[in-house]
Amino acid sequence: MLSDASHKLLFKQTVDGIYSLSEDDFDAFFELFKPFSAKRKEILTYNGAVEKNLYFIIDGLQRMYFSDENGREATILFSYSGNFGGVLDSMMNKTPSKFYYEALSPSIILRASFTQIEQLIETNPKIEILLRKGLISAFSGVLERLVELQCFSSEEKFRQLLKRSPHILQIVPHKYLANYIGIDASNFSKLINSVQI
Amino acid sequence: MEKLLLLNQLENQVERHLQQAIQKYQNLPDEILLKPSSSGGWSIAQCLEHLNTYGDYYLPLFEKGLVEGQDDLSIETIKSTWLGKLAIDSMNPEKGKKKFNAMKGHIPEVSLDAKAVVAEFINQQEQLLQILRTAKNKRIQQIKIPISIAKFLKLHLGDAIRFLIIHNERHIRQANRNL
Repeated sequence: MLSDASHKLLFKQTVDGIYSLSEDDFDAFFELFKPFSAKRKEILTYNGAVEKNLYFIIDGLQRMYFSDENGREATILFSYSGNFGGVLDSMMNKTPSKFYYEALSPSIILRASFTQIEQLIETNPKIEILLRKGLISAFSGVLERLVELQCFSSEEKFRQLLKRSPHILQIVPHKYLANYIGIDASNFSKLINSVQI
Repeated sequence: MEKLLLLNQLENQVERHLQQAIQKYQNLPDEILLKPSSSGGWSIAQCLEHLNTYGDYYLPLFEKGLVEGQDDLSIETIKSTWLGKLAIDSMNPEKGKKKFNAMKGHIPEVSLDAKAVVAEFINQQEQLLQILRTAKNKRIQQIKIPISIAKFLKLHLGDAIRFLIIHNERHIRQANRNL
């Protein structure tokens, strides 16, 4: 398992990429995050529950997905090592989540209670700037994903996925990747063959 | 054995089986998955299909038993019955080297949709993980499961889950000898 120091380093890299904080501000923010481990297929946030936490992924892969009344699933996004995660709209609006957020492989994750983050923001405006910038970057990610969904072929979506996470084929069952790309799981091996890694 | 200890051990074992399937099997080409063993025995896909037929039978029974079962507020100690021990030991690849012929309903075809077999195996192991987690809060020794090949004989859920997982272990080892 990675040590606390390496958790902090990874966290700092990500935060610096969003908005650089002074050392004191960074420490005050980082202190709110506590490590835990999640097992494969463990649900971190249930549909219908309010998201209480902001997550930061140390290791493992997670997905946010929507499930309709017939049990059909739509995998909206994956989160990877070095990403913030969680159902952000539910967390910020304090409304029930429309999505599930689950670990797809054994994961090491940091989590901070959003209530505590809000308290920190009251005395520390820099954290609010960080949060806003983080949300803008998440929003950009969603817009890019919309472009992918509407304009990209399955092959292009698959290539894009491999670029973000080169080992994803060995980490999670292929059915989740097929679902993310929007094809039937039985067609996924054809897709792998056509892309030839 | 103390129940949570047992269930955690089993969960770790299922996790290892899943990792093998996810890292290896699902990424293998059909030729490898369908190649008979060097001694003419089962291919990897046949080993997994054999296991899937057991999952098809047992997993719905486990789920039904757990839904109907009583909540466990204390911590159960799990003891194998005489029959349970016999069933589990006979499948243990460390103990029993004895070969069995697969029983009716569990004999895999030679020509299979290899990718679909692997995908189904992964689905079943994910389902099994959820079953093990649900079992932590249920009195599993009161839940009785009829044996697939002799339905008049019953195992309690603890023994039946151990039997299924050690049987998986046995044939995953067999499948891995084809790699």
